[in-house]
Amino acid sequence: MGRWLAFLIPFVSLIAIAASGLEGAETVWSGLVIAENVAQPQSVPPELTRIEGSLKKFFGYNQFQVIGQSQKTLKTGQEDWLATSKFFGLHVDARGESAAGYVLNLQLYKEKELLLETNAKLSKRSPLVIKGPQVGSGQLLLVLVIQ
Amino acid sequence: MKTFEESWTAWLDGKLSGRELSEFEASLPDKAAAEAEKADARKVGVLLRRELGVSALTNEEFFSHQLRERIRESSVPSGERDAKPSTWWTIPRLLWTGTASLAVFLVLTVFVVRDKNPAEESQYLTQILNARVDPVISPNATVSMFEVKQDRVTVLWTEGLQSLPADYAAK
Repeated sequence: MGRWLAFLIPFVSLIAIAASGLEGAETVWSGLVIAENVAQPQSVPPELTRIEGSLKKFFGYNQFQVIGQSQKTLKTGQEDWLATSKFFGLHVDARGESAAGYVLNLQLYKEKELLLETNAKLSKRSPLVIKGPQVGSGQLLLVLVIQ
Repeated sequence: MKTFEESWTAWLDGKLSGRELSEFEASLPDKAAAEAEKADARKVGVLLRRELGVSALTNEEFFSHQLRERIRESSVPSGERDAKPSTWWTIPRLLWTGTASLAVFLVLTVFVVRDKNPAEESQYLTQILNARVDPVISPNATVSMFEVKQDRVTVLWTEGLQSLPADYAAK
């Protein structure tokens, strides 16, 4: 019995390690965020928690509200998706995967007008923040994070 | 009824006689050649008996020989007499060695995987390859980009984009 266990444990561990190595699919969170300074700021959405300090430091606002978002699980690295709010749309077109991350083409639309277009290599552990247009007293930010 | 070979051998040995001898010699196609062969065979037989003759052992010699053999066998240690070619790689040892090798492999694999992840974390930051704004909608807009390695955040900074009313912040 003891000998069988001695053999079973390494084999189960091998299978577990092999299975963990196969997890290739990753999820990209894309958000349209309105940054504002308000008297009673709401708590930061969970998707932005890890970059809350950076956002406050770079942009000088104390509240960040998500007005549109999308979560896309990338399997081939060739997918495209859309994160929309009532007036804005962020189209993301993934154009391949590399060791550094995903090559993305981003297009920010205001209704049907293309305001901004950029190409970026989104690293798996490095968020991308894009400063968009001024909206009222706040600022539109585009945030992409690989979760 | 003897075959020709049996009769031939008996004839060479001089063991045929009477009617059997005369019938066999009459059946030989070349009696002179057969006689010559018979003479050669006798010469060979005599030579072999003389050169290879085994001297018979007397009873005393035979007993002495048996006794010496018995003494020689009893003087050799039993371990040497029963020794068989052996190997350290018995089946249980093979199994345990295999298990130990797997365990070492697993430990090394875990260390390699753990060492690899921090390297990946520190190596890459998001890179902005290019950016452009619509010059018609935002003629004075400019873009710049910077990476904050400490926070691991990459920022595309735009200035001069068309400002929009607060209604555009609607979800």
